Amino acid sequence: MSSIFRQVRAMLRANLLGLRRRLAISVSMMLSVALVVCVLAGFLAMAAGFERTLAGTGSASVAVILGGGSNREAGSDIPAEALRGILALGGEIGVVRDTGGQLVASREVIGTTEVAAGDGAHAATLALRGMDLSGPDLRDGVALVAGRMFTPGTRELVVGLGLARQGPGGAIGGKVRLGALDWTVVGQFAAGGSAFESEVWADLDAVRAAFDRQGEVQSLRLRLAGPEAIGTLRAALGTVTATPLVVVSEAELYAGQSGRTADLIRLFGWPLALLMAVGATAGALNTMMSSVADRRVEIATLRALGFSRMAAFLATWIEASLLALIGVGIGIALSWLLFNGWQASTLGANNARMGFQLMVTGEVMAKASLLGLATGLIGGALPAIAATRLPLTAALKAGA
Amino acid sequence: MTEPATDAPYIALKAVQKGFKIGAEAVPIFTALDLTIPRGDFVAIMGPSGSGKSTLLNMLAGIDSPDGGELRIGSARLDRMGEGARSSWRAHSMGIVFQFYNLLPMLTAAENVELPLLLKPLAARDRRARVEKVLDLVGLSGRGGQYPALMSGGEQQRVGIARAIVSDPALLLCDEPTGDLDRKSAGGVLEMLRFLNRKLGKTIVMVTHDPRAASCARRTLHLDKGQFLEERRAA
Ligand SMILES: Nc1ncnc2c1ncn2[C@@H]1O[C@H](COP(=O)(O)OP(=O)(O)O)[C@@H](O)[C@H]1O
Ligand SMILES: [Mg+2]
Repeated sequence: MSSIFRQVRAMLRANLLGLRRRLAISVSMMLSVALVVCVLAGFLAMAAGFERTLAGTGSASVAVILGGGSNREAGSDIPAEALRGILALGGEIGVVRDTGGQLVASREVIGTTEVAAGDGAHAATLALRGMDLSGPDLRDGVALVAGRMFTPGTRELVVGLGLARQGPGGAIGGKVRLGALDWTVVGQFAAGGSAFESEVWADLDAVRAAFDRQGEVQSLRLRLAGPEAIGTLRAALGTVTATPLVVVSEAELYAGQSGRTADLIRLFGWPLALLMAVGATAGALNTMMSSVADRRVEIATLRALGFSRMAAFLATWIEASLLALIGVGIGIALSWLLFNGWQASTLGANNARMGFQLMVTGEVMAKASLLGLATGLIGGALPAIAATRLPLTAALKAGA
Repeated sequence: MTEPATDAPYIALKAVQKGFKIGAEAVPIFTALDLTIPRGDFVAIMGPSGSGKSTLLNMLAGIDSPDGGELRIGSARLDRMGEGARSSWRAHSMGIVFQFYNLLPMLTAAENVELPLLLKPLAARDRRARVEKVLDLVGLSGRGGQYPALMSGGEQQRVGIARAIVSDPALLLCDEPTGDLDRKSAGGVLEMLRFLNRKLGKTIVMVTHDPRAASCARRTLHLDKGQFLEERRAA
């Protein structure tokens, strides 16, 4: 064990034993570090949860055909003649057929619509999807948990659990005004927390009639024979129509939408956390400067006995890091308790509200911890240098 | 260990200059200070407040450095050393006793005494043995576990002396070691210092205001206006 190690250990021990004298300011430093950690962890957990939700939505064995040069449902439009061509395709095209030889497919439109809450105070923007009767079966991992599916040709709704829990008017039997007409909620479905749960589903023709979108089809979902069959489908589509169509798997479609919003959350979270970290660093600097001032005589005495400048530096710096580390521990524990699994919602896939859970993942914790620790390391560095520059004779004169 | 005082200069100051800057103004303390102290001597330095006694002692301790001139202790040229070299010189070559003891309040007496030993390549068991031995020597056997706040001034100063001698340095520097003590405690501390000089052969330089303290020394130097005035040799 080298001398410098023993010196630092002895100095650090004296520091920590003397911490009681400057308890208030030390605790305030820990708490400000904890706050920084909480803020960053909160935002990152939000982004991670959002991403995880969209990444967990959709199946690789369902193909989504989009038209109009869009690779998102929002701007897509499939011309009627192209649609007829696709549905009339014979032979092996990689798509599952029903007993009657028809392709297992669902024509769909999606739109956003304002819903007034029961109390009339809040309005929420919902994603309303019109689909063929086979639409629900084309969603893997979706299960009706209450009520029944909508009946074709009627203004009936089934509501995702995510919406039913927090959105207005999700209860079965409830009337919801969409567009100019009243609709009846007849069922609720679960989808493992995925983005599907933030949608409202209804009959295709009923939606098109209510919103004056007769004849329109935005996307066509097809049940693939398997994930790799999408290549076969693409090849087959090339022969059908001159209209450029985009074919993606449903899983890709949702995952592709997560990037922008998650990045936006991070883009907002990082500067805010960094700004607070600057404040916390100033706090750490102040705390450690007062620690050095408080330990002036002790430091000078040890230095007079032959303790090195390096030991004075390290003992102060490590004290700062330990305080920051405790702050990090508090911050992580709080983030976990407060945020992990917390239900949030934001504008999602189709500019409608999408529910998701915050996830305090390992990566989130690591990043927030590093930022918290950095405040201690940076804020503690200058005071640690000050500890090495302490004028010994003056400090010893203050002896008593 | 017991060496008789010889006339070979152990400490030698030649034309040492030292001053302080107060604001923009340079205030000289010493313009050309000469001093030689042989090995095994016990020197008391007296003089009015502000005459530079502490400044001189701090230079001898390697805590402060001269602005000019030569300062040699043993074979070490302290005037030529940087801060790093001086701090390791301090660790190995001298022990220092402060007027206000300068014990670390959160450490026990034994832990305070052990501090200088942490600078040496010693195992914990050896450190403990030496701490016990010096606490014995200063008459504080069995008191190692006590905190300084629970000790009298005289006891605290004896802990301070134990800390100064625990690593067995040849040179002991004391800045008004009895300045804060009552008469009886002061007597005990002085007896201790005399013992360290006479029996263990330590070279001691002690700054003091107290003529009785000075009478323990082998000789007394009077410092005034940056110069030594007169010299009185004890019997
Ligand atoms: N660190 C310092 N900065 C400025 N002036 C100092 C400093 N140390 C001592 N002095 C001045 O130097 C002079 C001698 O101080 P000092 O050696 O402490 O005297 P003494 O110990 O004999 O009372 C005093 O005038 C004092 O004000
Ligand atoms: Mg003095």
